[in-house]
Amino acid sequence: MAVDITDRQFISGLIEKERKAQRVGGRWLVVPIIVLAIAYLTPLYYLFVTVFKTSTEYARKGVLELPDSLGPIIDNTIQAWTIAHLGEAALNSFSYALVGGVLAVAFAAAAAYGMTRLTLIGANGWFMLIFTGTLFPFQMYLVPLLFGYQRLGLINSWFGMLLLYVAICIPFPLLVLRNSFASITKEVDEAARIEGASEWRVFVSMIVPNAIGPMIALFLLQFTFIWNDLLFSSILANGIEVRSIMVALQSLQGTYSTLGPNVVITAALISSIPTVLLFIALRKYFMAGLQLGTK
Amino acid sequence: MVTAASTLLSPAVLKEARRRERRAAWAQTRIAWLFIAPAVIMVTVFLLTPVVFNVILSFTKWQKFTGLDQFAGFNNYARLFRVPYFSEALGNTAVWVVGAVIFPLAVGLGLALLLRNIPFQETFKSLFFLPRVLAPTAVGAIWYYVYAPHGVLNSAVSNLTGTPFDFGWLYSSATVSGSVIFTFVWQTLGITMVLLLLGLAAIPKDPIEAARVDGASSGQIFRHIIWPLLLPTVLVVTILNVAAGFTTFDLLWVMAGDYPGKRTLSLAVYMYYESFSNGAWAYGSAVAVVLGAMVILVSALLALVQSRVTKNIR
Repeated sequence: MAVDITDRQFISGLIEKERKAQRVGGRWLVVPIIVLAIAYLTPLYYLFVTVFKTSTEYARKGVLELPDSLGPIIDNTIQAWTIAHLGEAALNSFSYALVGGVLAVAFAAAAAYGMTRLTLIGANGWFMLIFTGTLFPFQMYLVPLLFGYQRLGLINSWFGMLLLYVAICIPFPLLVLRNSFASITKEVDEAARIEGASEWRVFVSMIVPNAIGPMIALFLLQFTFIWNDLLFSSILANGIEVRSIMVALQSLQGTYSTLGPNVVITAALISSIPTVLLFIALRKYFMAGLQLGTK
Repeated sequence: MVTAASTLLSPAVLKEARRRERRAAWAQTRIAWLFIAPAVIMVTVFLLTPVVFNVILSFTKWQKFTGLDQFAGFNNYARLFRVPYFSEALGNTAVWVVGAVIFPLAVGLGLALLLRNIPFQETFKSLFFLPRVLAPTAVGAIWYYVYAPHGVLNSAVSNLTGTPFDFGWLYSSATVSGSVIFTFVWQTLGITMVLLLLGLAAIPKDPIEAARVDGASSGQIFRHIIWPLLLPTVLVVTILNVAAGFTTFDLLWVMAGDYPGKRTLSLAVYMYYESFSNGAWAYGSAVAVVLGAMVILVSALLALVQSRVTKNIR
């Protein structure tokens, strides 16, 4: 049978048939994906059944068995809370992450403004200087920071910890904001300048509102980074009054811990609540933030 | 008229204009300094100075009572080559980098291709992304009990085989690295997959349809159309995961806390152990310098490849 390939209808019919076949095939792919997803989420399922078990229940039952009642989570929380001082640690980490994230993004935005919207002689050099801060692995900061902090009396202090978090969270937002500020048209600020607005005014009321989306996304990334930090706070601020939530969590876990897995895992769940809530509430910005990381 | 034009362009006038311009530029530069000052000061004081100090420290000798005032030349570096812990840690770091690049990429790409045209794509995407939202320390704590002798993994194996099984995955040198790398992949697979899905979505549909009509197989389409166009995304993912493979600390420290040879699990852990558990500050600094040099070298190489690839595609 001869096929007339110039026949549009015939070709589009073929493509339609092909697409339909693909879609049917696509539907069957759901099955292996569901199986994979179940296996993938098993550790999280384990997390949720464990936080509702008592220590004796945990020892007696299979690890994936359902708990007898929902009650034990209260006692698990109280234990984790009092033994590891989780409340204090959570407050510390929250303040580090909130203040540190805001300041870092603000400083990065100001620097990006100076580099892209103003005539800055040697702008590229300044940029490279700050960008250098992203090149080195954190392991290169640790020993000198410990020595310096001891000498300056910043060791085991809230303020000292905050300073480091701000510094370490500046380079990446600057990298991103330099691009987003540069893409805003020059007319925006030139018009404002002709009206007699100061540079500060132009920055705050013209440029920042134009890039608020990326700035929120960047703040979320930095907030999460600071909240999750174990490395720096385990060295620079491990005293009970200033330590971060991750240091507190880690102190519960390990060989010398006499606590049952149910308590430790409850603490692990508690320590993840803020970032999980942020992710759910601001999913759009979070995903945008992740994409920022690839440019 | 002619004279007016020539005075306008005379060297003296031009020079004056240029000077005025430069003065204006400097005036604005001074304002700009105020804007960049906080960032420059913070980064210089808290990040760049420590790096310089770290390099200096690696050439000193730490003594308990006199401090670090004695220079030791390359002694700390020479010691690296004599100590078997270091070479073991180096080998395990290489395993980490390879594992952290290959597994997320292979599994993430497979998942992304599977998820591309099925119903409920968004739901599955979020499900696979979920572990990423948890803190690494929390993930480490959970998986510590997953791998425990009476943990989730062993009871799953016992149930499947019918014989009791209580292997200590995190206590055996044969399985400890692989177990922690598996957890790393579990946590970061979601982000790799999301990035690859974005890359896939950006590939135009027309050449794929055309190739299919021409009778190309799915394998051919992937190899000749999808893969080359996806390569920039693959490289971005690789760069992110290489850095993570070199420097992952939290997961190892939390999960392998009980493993007797934990110092050899990676250079990041070895550096931490020598500096803060053994008090060998100068030696730990030398380990950090070696780690830093490797990270920078590999990142530079990858950046070079990346610029080649993006140039070819344009």
